Amino acid sequence: MADLLDKLPLPAFLKPADTGGHYGVIGDFDTPEALLRAIRTARTAGYTKFEAYTPFPIHGIDDAMGEPRSPLGRIVVVCALLGLSGAVLLQWWTGAVDYPIIIAGKPLFAIEPSIPIIFELGVLLSAFGTVFGMLALNKLPTYYHPAFNFSKWAGASNDRFLLAIEAIDPKFNPDEIKVLMDSLGSRCTELVEA
Amino acid sequence: MAHTHQDSALSRDSYILKPELWQRVRNTLAFAALVGWIALGAGFALNRDQFHFSYLVAFAFCISITLGALFYVQVQHLTGSAWSVTVRRLMETLMRTIPAGLILFIPIAFGIHTVYEWSHASAASDPILQQKAAFLNSTGFIVRGFIVLALWSIWAVRLYSLSRKQDASGSLEFTRSSEKWSAPGVLILFLSASLASFDWIMSLDPHWWSTMFGVYFLAGGAVAFMAVLIAVCLGLRSAGYLSDAINEEHYHDLGKWLFALTVFWAYVTFSQYMLIWYGNLPEEGIWYHRRMVGSWSGFMPLMIIGHFIIPFVTLMPRSSKRNLKMLGFFSGWMLVMHYLDLYWQVMPVLHKTGVAFHWIDLAALVALVSTFGLVFWSGLRERPLVPVGDPRLEQCLGFHNA
Repeated sequence: MADLLDKLPLPAFLKPADTGGHYGVIGDFDTPEALLRAIRTARTAGYTKFEAYTPFPIHGIDDAMGEPRSPLGRIVVVCALLGLSGAVLLQWWTGAVDYPIIIAGKPLFAIEPSIPIIFELGVLLSAFGTVFGMLALNKLPTYYHPAFNFSKWAGASNDRFLLAIEAIDPKFNPDEIKVLMDSLGSRCTELVEA
Repeated sequence: MAHTHQDSALSRDSYILKPELWQRVRNTLAFAALVGWIALGAGFALNRDQFHFSYLVAFAFCISITLGALFYVQVQHLTGSAWSVTVRRLMETLMRTIPAGLILFIPIAFGIHTVYEWSHASAASDPILQQKAAFLNSTGFIVRGFIVLALWSIWAVRLYSLSRKQDASGSLEFTRSSEKWSAPGVLILFLSASLASFDWIMSLDPHWWSTMFGVYFLAGGAVAFMAVLIAVCLGLRSAGYLSDAINEEHYHDLGKWLFALTVFWAYVTFSQYMLIWYGNLPEEGIWYHRRMVGSWSGFMPLMIIGHFIIPFVTLMPRSSKRNLKMLGFFSGWMLVMHYLDLYWQVMPVLHKTGVAFHWIDLAALVALVSTFGLVFWSGLRERPLVPVGDPRLEQCLGFHNA
């Protein structure tokens, strides 16, 4: 059946996904500590593609998951430099090139009075870079996510701490993961559809 | 002592300095003070003009740092900060050195006639200085000086003793009381420190004025205070104290403050400069003109690059704020810059043609820093280095930067 579907000229979303149609296995933990322990154990066991869903930020979770530092800072620096140099160009070009006019005996272009605009444009573009960069890195807005299919999903925004090991993980084996999560204290472990 | 034992599992530190260590540092400071004051006495005998100007720079340097401490302690109370609890006692001990200023102000009172143009006989025939004479006169200067120092001393002693009382009882009542003192305290501090900076430094050029000057003075003092705080924490750490209580997370926040205050200093300084540049009026530009004569002209680029651009760029990444060697280097760097900033504000009045460093500058700096240092160090004798009774101490020990 799968072979037949592959041969048909269907759009990609009608074909069975490489992941076997599953998002992954999600476990449901009682406390942040239990979640952190589960994450560390899963990493030790060799899993690499996992995600945690919690109602509030948990100190140390980035370290536990081995998450690298966010590249947002670098994005913001680039935006800031663009803002600074853009402000210099804007003021130099409008004041000294496009419409040169002497006001109160001041130079057509000087760095001293240009600094407030340089500062403000640097801040403005940094703020844009921060907000939109954050949204882009978080893949927001996302209207649908397969993790929503987990039966206890609502707990992730209330008092439960979820750990998902995703189907794209090279070591993905739902039965082994279920045993692992149950042994770590998961109250409800499910194989979740994509 | 009731507080030598540790309640917390988060910290294995000892909060009381060993008497031998305390004495060793005390002796070093006392020796520096002795040498400094003898040299300063010789300077007074040899070169009265240089003595008073050097003393003014050193006094402004020290007192601005203690004002930074007074400001920060009150801000921690007003914001109910938890991150800063383990460094707050060191802030408070720095703040508690302010009353020493009441005595150390005396040489400045005696130097009025040497230092300030408005006290000279020629001021009587200067129509502008005549109009300002109701404010700029020796009696007013001395009275105002002692009033502002007394005000700061009252707040410093009060806030320190509240915090010390909490060590024993741990009662929340002292936290509330500190908050109540801090709200008017910050307001009074800004107004009185502005007044002090107008009197002590701005009136060196009595024709000139800048409403930004008080903030300039306090911003510089706040940067230097943060640098001193970091240096003290690192010093205690290298002696084996507070390495858990003030860990990488706390240093990260101190580094953020050092960075932020550097930016604030630059913002304030530039705000003053740009308006004067744009107005281009002789009576306003004269202050900068006087400070750009001869080799003084090198100071402004030095301040822009050394007091702002280098620390701004270097301290911006998270990794450098968490690098204790980097923080230690920049705490020393910013202190040098703050001294040079004040030097540049004061000395062109004496050395009109160019920079002329003098050994009395160094003697005054050593004498005053070691004297304030002794008062500071006496506050750490057999007393806990952190506010052990503070209700937020546990939270601070477990503090983590997101």
